[in-house]
Amino acid sequence: MLTIDHLTKHYKGSNKGVTDICLEIEAGDIYAFIGHNGAGKTTTIKCVAGIHDFDSGKILIDGSSIRESPLLCKSRFAYIPDNPDLYEYLTGIQYLNFIADVFNVPARIREELIGRYGNEFEITSSLGDLISTYSHGMKQKLAIISALIHQPKLLILDEPFVGLDPKASVILKNIMREICDGGGAIFFSTHVLDVAERLCNKVAIIKDGSLIASGSMEEILKQGESLESIFMEVVKNA
Amino acid sequence: MLKQIKLLTKLELCNIYNLNVLRFSKNSRRKKKDLSVMMLWLFLIVMLIFYVSNLSYGLLRLELGSLIPAYLITVASLLIFFFGIFKAGNTIFRKNGYDILCSLPINRTAIVVGRFLRLYVENLVIAFLIVMPGLFVYAWFLKPGAAFYILGALSILILPLVPITASILIGAVIMGISSRMKHKSLAAAGLSVLFVLLIMYGSSRLSIMEETITPEMLRELSSVIMGTLEKVYPPAVWLGRAVIAGSFMPCFICAGAFLAVFAAAAAIVSIFFHAISQSLCTTSARHNYELKTLKKSSVLSSLCKREFRRYFSSSIYVTNTIIGPILGCILSGALLFTGTDVITKSLPIPLDICTFAPFVFSGIFCMMTTTATSISMEGKNWWILKSLPLSPKSVLNAKILMNLLLMLPFYLISEVLLIPALKPETFFDGFFLCLIPAVIILFSCVYGIAVNLHFPVLNWENEITIVKQSISAILGGMGGVFLSAVCAVIIFLISQEYYALFKALICIFILGATALLHKRITAPDAWRRYEL
Repeated sequence: MLTIDHLTKHYKGSNKGVTDICLEIEAGDIYAFIGHNGAGKTTTIKCVAGIHDFDSGKILIDGSSIRESPLLCKSRFAYIPDNPDLYEYLTGIQYLNFIADVFNVPARIREELIGRYGNEFEITSSLGDLISTYSHGMKQKLAIISALIHQPKLLILDEPFVGLDPKASVILKNIMREICDGGGAIFFSTHVLDVAERLCNKVAIIKDGSLIASGSMEEILKQGESLESIFMEVVKNA
Repeated sequence: MLKQIKLLTKLELCNIYNLNVLRFSKNSRRKKKDLSVMMLWLFLIVMLIFYVSNLSYGLLRLELGSLIPAYLITVASLLIFFFGIFKAGNTIFRKNGYDILCSLPINRTAIVVGRFLRLYVENLVIAFLIVMPGLFVYAWFLKPGAAFYILGALSILILPLVPITASILIGAVIMGISSRMKHKSLAAAGLSVLFVLLIMYGSSRLSIMEETITPEMLRELSSVIMGTLEKVYPPAVWLGRAVIAGSFMPCFICAGAFLAVFAAAAAIVSIFFHAISQSLCTTSARHNYELKTLKKSSVLSSLCKREFRRYFSSSIYVTNTIIGPILGCILSGALLFTGTDVITKSLPIPLDICTFAPFVFSGIFCMMTTTATSISMEGKNWWILKSLPLSPKSVLNAKILMNLLLMLPFYLISEVLLIPALKPETFFDGFFLCLIPAVIILFSCVYGIAVNLHFPVLNWENEITIVKQSISAILGGMGGVFLSAVCAVIIFLISQEYYALFKALICIFILGATALLHKRITAPDAWRRYEL
């Protein structure tokens, strides 16, 4: 579903970036992407989402290149950034309607999905208010609903649990499992290693812009007690 | 408190003109881009210095050298005042960083004084660039005494104080009123436009009074101009006379009075600062939404609606771009009521107004297009458009369409008033009266986007830096005005019998150039090409 093949991206005039990243995310995967601050998680995710151009390598979504067919690729996934800077001058419902228009979602389906996810995340009553009045958590919930409104097969999430209340975190985890059970896939970065350990079937660890470990969660967990201890060990020795 | 003022002023001035970012940025490409923008600014500054020097030299040749300080001080003061009306309120009461400052043990007067001093320093640069070249030309040719240099420097230092104070007080009133309203940005934009129109009306009344100038007065041109300047801004004349005469006392009195006005304004604003800032930061949320039937729209329509909502959410964006079209309508109306005779008589050379009016109105309409800053205005939200399945063509077309739809009612009103006012003699005169502004407006909107693609700024903290100070705002505004002027000069240079032919050729050329430019900027790889 998502292939990252020898991805290299360096910021001009700086030595920051990522080098030779290779990952394969298949249908049914919940893939955690972990690493310390500044390791290159967001850079990789932004390249996959088509926000950043990259120096070399390939990013394929369902076999199509994000570089050559950006619109086709973007219509197949949804992306949520680490800091949901949404259009503060729109109301929540205007924003959702805008995203639904862009993805050409039929009116009946958008009503159904906004109703469902709005109620699950307990945000429906606030949808008529300007986004500028929302708290960080509410913006995050709105960004999640906007990502789900066109029923994508692939979700690319950067720190999706930051700012969410415990109930919303549980709902998001359930939705993630539901998407994977339906043949979709999730690729997300996180610092919450407990969540990654319990939720994901695959994991990749990045340090200083390079992958230092990747594979199924079972294989990785064989190397130590918990994902946290393995992460500390791998990062220290890499 | 002095220590707090010093610290806050240092913080305010730390990134003035984006210098701190330029200093510490490790991104060499961005540094190069910032440096090229600075070079453009430098070029504009050199042009300004050249213009002011020539103007001053011209006054000297006319033996009106004694007017130079008063004249330049008036011009600088008016510029500072007019630009300040749109900017001062937003600078003083900006929300950015308000919460952090309030949580620190800082006196609110120190916050206000820090922000006042930021405005002062920014405007001191304008004062320096306008007055200094003129004083230099005066000194070079007339070799005045040492007092001239001391008082000239003092007058530059104190001249921004009063116009800034006036613009801050108007800005505070606008912010104070709009903070009580539900649609704060729209209310602030409406009030700002109203203030500017009132001031323009007042100044036009002043010039009407000058109709009483007699031939005897013309012989004493110097005193006539001084008289006019005194009506517009008396302190400039007092200061100017004191500088020429080398009188210290009037200058010191002016300096004392200016400082007192500035300090009093800071004291008044600091009383209301907390209340106004809090009201501006307070947002009303009803939490009573119930899901209704949702309508599906086309991508272009949805993008265009979003552009309109973005536009009307920013008072500074609205006020900066709507003045031109409003002025166009007012001038058309004035022309209808006063008739063309008044203008024909006042022209130095005989001109057919109907022939040149389309270019004048095009220039007025295109003084500032929304497209010139619309990409930069996306700011931190740019990721949304980048991550959605939207082609550059759809995004940019929506921005162009929004600008055209915004101008459409003003254009129609203006044309409806212009046609009976100018009474075109032939069908072609009437046709080009409508077509030329439409074509130039279309070009300006596309050109605005092209300029913003070359000079995008997405990591801004305050909208003012984009709408009023960015290079794309300046170059974008110049495009339509420059094109209108060039077209008018071409028509002026050719024989009257070829007017219709050349106007048609101009329209075809501009439409062709617009189509080519549009094709180039909306190519599928636009974001990559412009590094967005």
